[in-house]
Amino acid sequence: MIHIEERKLPQHNIPIVTFFHPKKLYLHLSQHTGRSSKLVVNKGDLLEEASLIAERDGLISASLSSPVKGYFKDIVSFNHPSLKRGLAVVIEREESPNKIYSFNKKALFLKRDALLDKIQKAGIVGMGGAAFPTHVKLNPPKEIDTLIVNGCECEPYLSCDYRLMVEKSEEIFKGVEIICRIISPKRVLFALEENKLEAIKKFNSMISTKRIPLPNPKVIILSSRYPTGGEKQLIYVLTKRIVPLGGLPFDVGCLVHNVGTIFAIYEAVYYNKPLVERVVTFAGGALREPKNILLKLGTTIRELFDGGILSFKKEPLKIIYGGPMMGITLKGLDYPVMKGTTGILFLTKEEIDIREESVCIRCARCVDNCPMGLLPLEFVKKVKQKEYIYLNDLYIKDCIECGVCSFSCPAKIPLVHYIKIGKKYAVNR
Amino acid sequence: MRLIVSDSPHLKANYDTSWMMRQVIYALIPTGVASLYFFRFRAGFIILNCVVTSMITEEIVMRIRKRPSTIKDGSALLTGLLLAFILPPSVKWYAVSLGAVFAILVGKHLFGGLGNNIFNPALVGRVFLVATYPKTMTTWIEPFSLQAVTEATPLALRKFDHILTPVSNLFLGNSSGCVGETSAILLILGGFYLLIRKVVDWRIPLSIIITVSLISSIFYVINPLNGSVSFHLFSGGLMLGTFFMATDPVTTPISKKGRFVFGLGCGILIMVIRYFSGLPEGVMYSILFMNACVPLIDRIFRPKSLGAIGVMISKRRKK
Repeated sequence: MIHIEERKLPQHNIPIVTFFHPKKLYLHLSQHTGRSSKLVVNKGDLLEEASLIAERDGLISASLSSPVKGYFKDIVSFNHPSLKRGLAVVIEREESPNKIYSFNKKALFLKRDALLDKIQKAGIVGMGGAAFPTHVKLNPPKEIDTLIVNGCECEPYLSCDYRLMVEKSEEIFKGVEIICRIISPKRVLFALEENKLEAIKKFNSMISTKRIPLPNPKVIILSSRYPTGGEKQLIYVLTKRIVPLGGLPFDVGCLVHNVGTIFAIYEAVYYNKPLVERVVTFAGGALREPKNILLKLGTTIRELFDGGILSFKKEPLKIIYGGPMMGITLKGLDYPVMKGTTGILFLTKEEIDIREESVCIRCARCVDNCPMGLLPLEFVKKVKQKEYIYLNDLYIKDCIECGVCSFSCPAKIPLVHYIKIGKKYAVNR
Repeated sequence: MRLIVSDSPHLKANYDTSWMMRQVIYALIPTGVASLYFFRFRAGFIILNCVVTSMITEEIVMRIRKRPSTIKDGSALLTGLLLAFILPPSVKWYAVSLGAVFAILVGKHLFGGLGNNIFNPALVGRVFLVATYPKTMTTWIEPFSLQAVTEATPLALRKFDHILTPVSNLFLGNSSGCVGETSAILLILGGFYLLIRKVVDWRIPLSIIITVSLISSIFYVINPLNGSVSFHLFSGGLMLGTFFMATDPVTTPISKKGRFVFGLGCGILIMVIRYFSGLPEGVMYSILFMNACVPLIDRIFRPKSLGAIGVMISKRRKK
């Protein structure tokens, strides 16, 4: 665990703005962990907003709905941040007022299965970055006693979750109440980092008014250290329980949900609104005005610049999809926003480190700081010597790729890069 | 728009290896100045000789190995400086140069260069000189004496003549000994600078100091002529060894527990050598011996992966 300069200003204190008028949308069929969604519409169809485009294929998959009213133009291979290229549905938006979602009066009386069905149909996935289908997570094979609401947002620059917590705190509480109806936990812990003052205040007052009944709710303020917001770290810090190697949080009776996901659940249940939009942080030294923007999934970054929503102050040297610690570098502006996009960062030469790798001096900062208690320097040694058979004995699969080792390395060794290679080749002896 | 594509993370800490080396060199500056004050030109020549020879050797070796020059990272300068500090002020210039060449060539590069050496290069250089010039390496001179009036070190006086040097002399540095190890207060100052800047880990110095204090207090109770706790802490190379030699990241364990064990081992060995061997001082041999134990310590005290601990706990619960 380390302290990293936050760099969350000014976007931290600027209200969310909206951008609902993209000309063209590129909706990837693979926006989540698991199998790609299966297309259910035909080329040339006129799609209504919130109508189903693709349904889930198998258990670990998610459905996809149209974010706007428009024509299904084509299906093309388009830039994908993690897959490089992926099949994407191209939708041309029809000029029409945005759909108004009506309040679902029955929402308060829905039972577990009906709620799960609604969440599944809405295509909700984890919105903190990993994009794991939420309906699977909400249907664990074991009993859950602790629900953790993850509002840590420990990555520098990002502030979309914070803005959501400040501006939609009541909605988030209603979302938590829905989750409690599904999994009936014994307590609810709201985990927030100390730098999120406004959100802490709002959450505490929400709890004290008791308007939304939750089982033993409590706000827990954590010191802002990276990576506190990681699922396994959060569980350990809050409950002192350790998720076993290869296990999932439900193995220790915990369930962790990001506030963005919870907000999406609220909208899906109370307004029958599928996951078609999300808040994304656009920040970095290259931007004139960093912003948190609520936008339609599939909007390309280029459209935001063409539409004058964003503009460059300086030339960026790196464009990052996600946070600066775990994000993926992009090769240009033609990438769409997806369900798991937390931020797009435009970093200048001054903000990133491009010093060259030198030799390891065994200072063990990577070992001391590793939140998973691993030996990152040994991984690098083994990968460099191509001794892949030893990697599993060192628990390389336990690595969460948080980037703490590379960050703290004085020799500037890109440890995560070597670990990713090692994970590909690691085999069981 | 030209963009860089790379793996995460995209932010890095602003320190680097050469920054760490520089911090250690800064921390040694007060001691260096004090050595000039106590031993005058002799100290100056030894420091200059060591540093220059080390850097030249480093450059030549890197050219022979066809690697990029590493002069700028400061590691050779630091090795030279540390070697100079652990040599007696009366040692001849050719011995100094030879020691520096040996330290860099054998101590460091024969093992594979920076990051791969098993033993602390400066200590390797000194061990070589002790073996090569046993007489000059154990001849000490009084501080401020330009004619080289020989005098035994406080530790030798204790051991062979049962005379205890006043602790205030040891603390300030007004006693005979190696170029840079006489003034305990300045070494502690430098050591604290390194700890505050988080260049070195606090576990090794702490465990050495605690171990030495415990053992020496027991022996002091048995017989006051064995020397008090402060006598043992501030005499000989203990402070220099504790803060600057035993904390060398390359030659110390990687786990936190391992570092405690490393310090414990150093402390015990130092006191065993001081009390029971034919030598008055044992910091150098203790650290070198523990350097050799590092792979073993790393193996035994390997940090447990969080996931593996989780597996252990869940297995226990099933039983």
